[in-house]
Amino acid sequence: MIEISNLTFRYREGSAPVVRDVSLTIPDGTFVGITGAAGSGKSTLTYAFNGIIPHCYPGDFYGSVVIDGLDTCTASLTDVSRLVGSVCQDIESQMVSSVVEDEILYGLENFGVPKDEIGRRVTEALDAMGIADLRHRSIAGLSGGQKQKVAVASVIALEPRVLVLDEPTAELDPASSVGVFELLRRYAREHGTTVIVVEQKIALLSEYADELLIVDGGTVVFRGAPAEVLAHSDELLEIGVNCPRATSLVNRLRRRGLFAGPAARNVDEAVAACKEVLA
Amino acid sequence: MSGGFLEYVPGDSFLHRMNPVAKLASAFLLVIACFATSSPALLALVLVVDAVLAVRCDMVAQTIGLAKAVCAFSLLLALIALLFTPAGDVLVALPWGYVGTGSIAAAVLIVVRLVACAVPLFLVFYVTKLTDMANAIVKVLHVPYKYAFAFTSTVRFIPVFMNDMAGIMEAQTARGVEFDGSLAKRIRLMVPLCVPLLVSSVRKTNSAAIAAEVRGFNLRTRESGYKDYPFAAFDVAAMAASAALVAAAVALGLLL
Repeated sequence: MIEISNLTFRYREGSAPVVRDVSLTIPDGTFVGITGAAGSGKSTLTYAFNGIIPHCYPGDFYGSVVIDGLDTCTASLTDVSRLVGSVCQDIESQMVSSVVEDEILYGLENFGVPKDEIGRRVTEALDAMGIADLRHRSIAGLSGGQKQKVAVASVIALEPRVLVLDEPTAELDPASSVGVFELLRRYAREHGTTVIVVEQKIALLSEYADELLIVDGGTVVFRGAPAEVLAHSDELLEIGVNCPRATSLVNRLRRRGLFAGPAARNVDEAVAACKEVLA
Repeated sequence: MSGGFLEYVPGDSFLHRMNPVAKLASAFLLVIACFATSSPALLALVLVVDAVLAVRCDMVAQTIGLAKAVCAFSLLLALIALLFTPAGDVLVALPWGYVGTGSIAAAVLIVVRLVACAVPLFLVFYVTKLTDMANAIVKVLHVPYKYAFAFTSTVRFIPVFMNDMAGIMEAQTARGVEFDGSLAKRIRLMVPLCVPLLVSSVRKTNSAAIAAEVRGFNLRTRESGYKDYPFAAFDVAAMAASAALVAAAVALGLLL
């Protein structure tokens, strides 16, 4: 379980806090999607989950973040990393090896996973991301989507309780983006892992997340199941979060009292809603 | 060359399978042998070894490319040797001495020596995965991991930074900067671009450091590596053969 209470963080070089008075409780095994406009503080919020603040960026840190009983502020970053696996935004600079297998091995070696278990973990992580065939390939020769999967595999091999991903599909085409989310969801369900993912593509998040967090000005302005959050498409647009057109359409029908069901997350749901209205 | 700078060339030659430390040691011993001798026979022998290694690694084209580059680079040194080593029969008189048959021999020797010693190092770096080299150095030679990591990171970031620089230059070209022209002009135009390059590289190295740290960088010890790098008989044989070449080079030097 993750408990954030009254978290406020200001970077040392910044004049105003980037995260303001955020309090959250996230139960184990939840798939949480975080989105918001650029500069809303969503990346900084993920740094709170994986201990990168306050450990790597100096600044004023108020409140507390407790993960499975471990206070990220007093524990070392290494200890936080045993619980929380992070996939950073910049995949290219995250890679430490030239070959896929070595990249997966890196964290396992560092955290002292017993050698007789390492082989299994590498195979499982590669299988979970569907990249078993890339095992001996050179990383430089991989596509963006493949690199992304390698980065995720290298972290899930550590079997973290919580997985934090910052824009894992930023450089991917729509099909690969769906592929990455599909694999993430399956893995998280099988292992009971809590997943926290920052993502611009709200439609994608709505499909896969159990819970959506919308961040604006460093605070969580909306929080709930995707359909609940998407019901506020007009307010979301005002803070720079564009909802899918299907959602806006159904919300209009809802506002005019023509449709009483939940907000649509995708075209299929919107089609169903329209059929109901027209019937 | 197919891959980028120091990018691993896969294969399963003798050199690929050797222990990384043994490879490095043998390559350095060959370098020492090349510099310890002036014997054309011995240098020719090293060149033959180079050629065999290149063929076995299936890297003939790349090796010829390297040899050409080293030749071009060493021509300047050769020219200096040619002009300032008055030896042998006089061929051309110069105000400060003369160019003789011995001068030509000295110049040729410099080129041959540099090519002969560059090839083994070049091959070793291309047929060894950088991670294996670093891990083996940590395990076998007990070098602290952070130094090995600094080395691999440096090499890994070279193409990244080159890519960044190309991107910055393209952005400048798109805004009307003309990078064609003389080398001096190009360098003058490139100097101010080092600032954005520095900013982006500091940012990248910072995120790389964080990424390594959250994957347990600080916990890594000499025992951490999953793979072991034992010395096989042919590793010992290769190092012994290279050491024998050094001994031969030194012995020949003393006799002549």
